[in-house]
Formats: sequence, structure tokens, C-alpha cells
Amino acid sequence: MGFLDWFLGREAPPGGAQPTAALVSGTRYVVVDTELTGLDPRKDDIVSIGALRMSGGRLEIGGSFYELVRPSATLDGKSIVIHGITPTQVAGKPPIDSVLAAFTGYCGNDVLVGHCLSIDLSFLNREARRLFGGPLHNPVVDTLSIYGWLRNRQAGHPIFSSPLNGLRLYDMAKGFGISCEGAHDALADAFITAQLFQRFIPILEGFGIRDLDDLLRIGNPGMQGENLFSPGGRANF
Amino acid sequence: MMVDEAIRFLSKIPPFQFLEDALLRQVAGSLALEFYPKGTVILQQDGTVSDALRIVKKGVVKISLRPKGGGDEVVIDYREPGETFGLVSLMGKRQKTTIVAVQDTICYLLPKERFNELLGTNPTIMEYLLQFHLTKYADMTSREIQGKSLFLGSSDHVLFTTQVGEICTRTAATVEKTATVREAAQRMVDEKQSAVIVLDEKGIPAGIVTDTDLRKKVVAKGHPVDSPITTIMSAFVVTVEDKDHCFEVILKMLQHNIHHVAVTRDGVLQGVITNHDFMLLQGRSPLAFSEDIEQQKTIEALAPVSGKLLNIIGVLLREGARAANIIRIISELNDRIVRKVLEIVEAELGPPPVPFCWLALGSEGRKEQTFRTDQDNAIIYADCETPELAAAAAGYFTMLAGRVRDGLIQCGFEACPANYMASNPEWCQPLSTWLRYFSNWVSEPTPEAVLKSLIFFDFRPLYGDESLARSLRDHLNLEVPDHASFLGFLANMLVKNRPPIGFFGTVVVERGGEHKDELNLKIKGIAPLVDIARLFALEKGVRVSSTLERIKALRASHTIVSEYADELEYAFEFITILRIHNQFRQLEAGKPIDNFINLETLSNLEKQTLKNAFRVILKVQELVMERYKAFII
Repeated sequence: MGFLDWFLGREAPPGGAQPTAALVSGTRYVVVDTELTGLDPRKDDIVSIGALRMSGGRLEIGGSFYELVRPSATLDGKSIVIHGITPTQVAGKPPIDSVLAAFTGYCGNDVLVGHCLSIDLSFLNREARRLFGGPLHNPVVDTLSIYGWLRNRQAGHPIFSSPLNGLRLYDMAKGFGISCEGAHDALADAFITAQLFQRFIPILEGFGIRDLDDLLRIGNPGMQGENLFSPGGRANF
Repeated sequence: MMVDEAIRFLSKIPPFQFLEDALLRQVAGSLALEFYPKGTVILQQDGTVSDALRIVKKGVVKISLRPKGGGDEVVIDYREPGETFGLVSLMGKRQKTTIVAVQDTICYLLPKERFNELLGTNPTIMEYLLQFHLTKYADMTSREIQGKSLFLGSSDHVLFTTQVGEICTRTAATVEKTATVREAAQRMVDEKQSAVIVLDEKGIPAGIVTDTDLRKKVVAKGHPVDSPITTIMSAFVVTVEDKDHCFEVILKMLQHNIHHVAVTRDGVLQGVITNHDFMLLQGRSPLAFSEDIEQQKTIEALAPVSGKLLNIIGVLLREGARAANIIRIISELNDRIVRKVLEIVEAELGPPPVPFCWLALGSEGRKEQTFRTDQDNAIIYADCETPELAAAAAGYFTMLAGRVRDGLIQCGFEACPANYMASNPEWCQPLSTWLRYFSNWVSEPTPEAVLKSLIFFDFRPLYGDESLARSLRDHLNLEVPDHASFLGFLANMLVKNRPPIGFFGTVVVERGGEHKDELNLKIKGIAPLVDIARLFALEKGVRVSSTLERIKALRASHTIVSEYADELEYAFEFITILRIHNQFRQLEAGKPIDNFINLETLSNLEKQTLKNAFRVILKVQELVMERYKAFII
């Protein structure tokens, strides 16, 4: 519910009759994915950030965010294989400091959504602490946590009963008929994540999840493992 | 990346594929993407209108509506990838249809604001969209009309076929530039207008002031009402020519975000048209029309409403409605006008001294009017016990019948040249007199009596106490079986009117005179079928009066009808639709309406069908001859 929405009359004015609870369908999200030189937050770096906006289930095609970052460490052969970004590509790019500032500006107060978001967050927050003295303040939702929660409740889509070893983003997306073709950069993966989130919203609604607070609880990145593997869960592991 | 994907998609579908690359990129960038699981109600009838034009990327949606006043849901259309929906909704105030995803569906959404911008900058693109939506909508609806709902008018189609001059009934309220705000407001009050056009010294529109201006610029701002009107007018008047089609005018209204447009003919101000007029136009379905009739309180107000009936018929014809439905709608609406006139006149005169029933006769009685035919009507009133009451009743009903006749003339129903009208004292009589008339015609079938019976025996109660009409029908059904010679007369007469099929199976046309090479569809086609159905209905005491209803009622009980019902119905429908189309063409061409058709204007299939219709008539006539051979001269 940005100012623009209010200004254009899409939402109630601030101070007016505000709904008591924010709704999933009325919330603005930034779906994000990062690419890294490796998975160790102590020595690896962010090489790109891709993000796009959603308003409820409505995914905005234009106005996406994509920046390559010149990492402080040199890119080695192993990570190049994963993300396909070469040292020459990032040579002239801005450092993480300016990219992160631009990114936080892009996010505003929107809810951050990502797949397996805890990893991205650990890198983003490391840089944020260094630059701004604290982590990102945005509420966060992890699509993998949502997946686990739905799987435990036997949501009626085949993807929720497929073997757990097929939990990669692309497998999950393909299960929903989401196209994963083409180049895979941070923005493309954010787009796939966004479409996955788009599929989850009506399924969650089917379980009575409409309030943002409930979504934040279910989508808590820290709940990933618990949702998926809790003793009461039905994960066939 | 996402934008590129959207561009690739849009560049394959009209009308977006016609956009220049830069604009296409802009449009693609403004899109949103939504996902609807199977079964999602995307838009709900009578719910909130759409805030975006949706383009189906994947999946299928179903568009349906539930007719007002109940009835089954009618599926209007399905939309598939590359097709759009929600345009009508985007432009309206009320969601008219329900749109459901019948598969998991993904749509691109073009937001309303962006759509309105495109509307302004690329009218041709938007014209394509409008055409696609509205004609598709209209075509599907008309197909549904044929099968299902009689009163389901598709109203949007008319936007493309109606010129703005046709619906601009509102003459513009005007004031001179020198007028004050108060004078202008007074003029609007006097002329019951929501806008006033300000004219310059030469009488040319210089500006416009609307209700909104008075509210926003005068009342809210405390602007003095004795200041010149020019201080608050919008100096820019959007004008359209009366020949412009309505949807072009709607486009202009959308482009300029205005509700009032001045209509000119050759540059001269004719009137003002408002968005309200378009709402009425879009509501020009038969149902909306009948509501319009119901709302009128005076004949003066009813007359112009009645005049719009022709447009409705035109719409129905263009949309390919079936003949049976067209003539039913026409009679239904004509009935409502007649009832309304009676209601108004009765209210003026006060309650009648005794109960009465207004009868529709002839083609009106059969519910088979095509274009406005003349009046054929009568009054039966209850028998009066005292001469005083009889005198009072005669006086009252003479007055009533006279006023109704005049009212109907005002509404466009011409007087009957043969004076078969209730205003003729002979046809405004108590029940006992009517019973005697009918008995006389049946028992002594002189040619003159038979002629009258043809018109009167197709009577139908239209207003008032229907029990009087029932008594008359009961009486007739009792009388007829005792007078076989009467039916013999009818049979004799109808077999004399042989279908125009020549020795070699060709259709025979007029050999000379004004209608050389033409064929009179009413006399040669409709009349024999009407006569056949009437004869059989009288034989069996069938109470309904229309030809198709009679055939239907006789299917089970009448040996000839049971064998030929389908062919008879089809023949009747086919000749009727030929006749209506022909008349509508004459009307549109500004020619006098008649029943003559030139066979050369027909396709081979139509000629063949017509020939088959005549063969059915001939066949049934032969069976009638067989049955009534004792009476056939």
C-alpha cells in the first residue's frame, strides 16, 4: 500500500478507516534472488541482485531490479560454473555498497519474498550491517517455508507429495507449469519465485490464510526446516 | 527479460502487434501478470468493475451472465490465449457478466490508466479492441437469444450501428455570452438539462457549463452568481457530427474525460449528448425498452419512447434473431404500449361503470405484427342491467375508445382504414351483443360475415377483464361445431388462394402493374398459412390465437397438423423473416413499406426454400379440399 496507491485512490487514506489486519492480497512484495560467489557468508560475496514487485498476486512486468556487482574477492572457476558470470562482466560494475543502497531504496517497506531466502538474507544483512549498521528491516517470506507448511497439510497439488529430493526451485516451478527456460540470472530466478508465490497464494487462501501476519508466520525463513521436517509433519523422508 | 517475454507474446496478437516497437515496449512494461487457479471467479456479475484489460496468456476463461429477473445462466463466450476480456467492464459502471477461469489461467493485465492513455493516442488500435469485444459479445448473445432467452438484448452492438444523431433527442439549452451564472442555471432548470452551451455573438458554441461546473466552481468556491457565465465556462466544447457513430463519440468522451458533447449537423448546433444517453442506448434491449414504457405517465411522453421500437427491431434483425422471436417481441412491446395508453386514458376518465375488456384483433390478435401495422381492436363490456347504466357505459366507453385511438395514433399506430376499431360504436358493445354478432357470422356465413370473422375470430384480450373475452371464446367454440357450413366456407375460401407455383414448378410473380415481377408475401405466403391454422383451430376449439401457437396446440390432436406441423412452422417462420427483412430494407431505404418482394433479390437457397414452403401450403390445401369436398365449389 504505497503512497502512490493511496494517491491514486486504490486504498483507504492513511489515518482513515484502516483495515484491522493487513491482507495478503493487499500487500506489496519485492521478490528477490541473489547470485553469490559461494555459500559461505564469511568469505563469499554477492555478484548480482534481481528483484521485481508484486501487489498481492499481481506481478508487475515492468520496473524490475537487476544489478551486477563487482565482488571484492576475485571470482573463481567453481562459482563461475554456477552463475555463469565472468570476471570481465563484473569488472566495470558498481561495488555492493551502491547496489545495496539502490536495492533498499527499491524495496522501501515492502515484504521481501524469496526461495530459500535465509541464504540470500545472510549475505544481504551482512552487507547492510556493514553499511547501515543493522540488518534489513523488511518483513520476509520464504516460499520454501510455505511449501513445507502446505506439504504438511497435504495441499491437493501433486507437487506437495513428490519426493523431497526434488525440492529445487526449478523442479517446484515445473510442477506448477511455470516455464524455466532461458537464461538463469538473479532476475529470472526471482521471476520464477514470484510465479511460485503467485500459485501459493490461492492455495493458502484455501487453508484460510488471508492475513499478512499468518503469511509471515508460515513463510518465516527460519521455519523452513521445521515446516518440512517436523516430527508431526508428513514428510516422507 | 520479463518485458521481452511480454513483448514477444504481444507482438503475435492483434491489435498489439500493430503497435510500434517503442510503444509496444512501453505497453509491455506497464503490464502485470496474474494467475487464476481453475474455478476462480475473476469478475462477478453486478460486482466491482474491472480495473484492467486482461489478455489471456495461458488457459481459458468463460464469460456468462444470468438474465435479470432470473433464468438460467447464459454462456456468452470463451476467451483463449491471445484474446482479451474485461473491456466492456473497464468502460462501464457495473460488471455485466461473470468471468470464470475454466482452466488454470494466466493473464497479462493492462491497467485502466494505461489503457485510457492508449485510447487517446491510438484510436485505431482501440477501435479494433472495441470491435472485437462488442461484436463478439453481441454475436454470441444473439446466438443465445435464439435458443434461450427472449429478452436478452445485446446492447453494445448498437454502438457501432447507431449514429449519434439518432439518439440525440436532447435539444441543447443555450445562453448568450452576456448571461450571468444565475441566468444560465435558471435556463438549465427550465429546460431540465444538465449542461448549457454558451453561444457567442454569431451563435457559435463558445463554451459549455455543466452541473459539475456549478457545483465545483460556483457553490464550492462561493463564486458570485451574478458574475458573467464566461467566468466559469469551459471554453472548449467538444463537438461531434450527427452522422458519427456512437462508439466514436464514446471514444471522444473517454479521451477528453467529459460527459457532455455537443452534436452538430453541418456545423450547426443540434443538441447535447451525455453519457447518460449512451447508458440508455446500451440499455436499448427489449427489456430496457419495456421498462422505459412502464415509466411514462402521459401519452406525450410515451409517444417518443414508442418511436424507438423500430430501432429495436433493427437490432434484432441485424443480430439474426429468429422470426418467431422477433414477432413475439414486437407484439409484446406493442402490447405494453397499448396497455400503457389504456392505463393513462383510464386514469384520466376515472374507473369504468362496468368491467370491460380491450381486444386485439387480426394480426395484432395473432401476435404477428411486423412493422407498425394499423389498429385493429374492440371493446367488450359487461352487460348492463338498467338502461341508465347501459347509457352511462356506452358514453364512457365511447369516450375511452376515442381517446385510446388518438393516443395510439400519437404513438405511431395508424387508424384502421376499414374502421375495425373500438372507437367505432359497432365494435364497442356489451358482451350479449358480441355473442349475437359471432352467432350470426357463424350461422349465416355471407362473404361479408366470413371476412369479419377472419379478423374478429383471432381476438385476444389485451387489457381489462379477461373473463369477458373467455366467455366470448367459449361461445364461439360452442357455436362452430353446430355450423359445419361455416367451416366449409372458410375451407373453400382458403383453397382458392393457391400458392404461386407454376406448371413447371417455378414461382409465379405478378405479370404487370406496379409490382411487375414481384410477389406479395403477405397474400401469397402468410395468409394461406394463417387461414389454415385458423380453420383447424376452430375445428378443434383451440383457444390460442397466433398461428405458431395454434399449430403447436394442434400437433397432438389434428391429423393433418400432426403430419405437417414441422413443415408448416418452418414455412411460416421463413416467409415471415423474408417479409420482415424486406420491410426493414424498405424502411432503411426510406421507401414505403409493403409486402412485395422481388425474387431476383433472393439467393438460390432462399428461392428454393420459398418454393418448398409453397409446396407445403399446396399439399395441406389439397388435404383440406379432400376433407371439405362437400363444400368446395
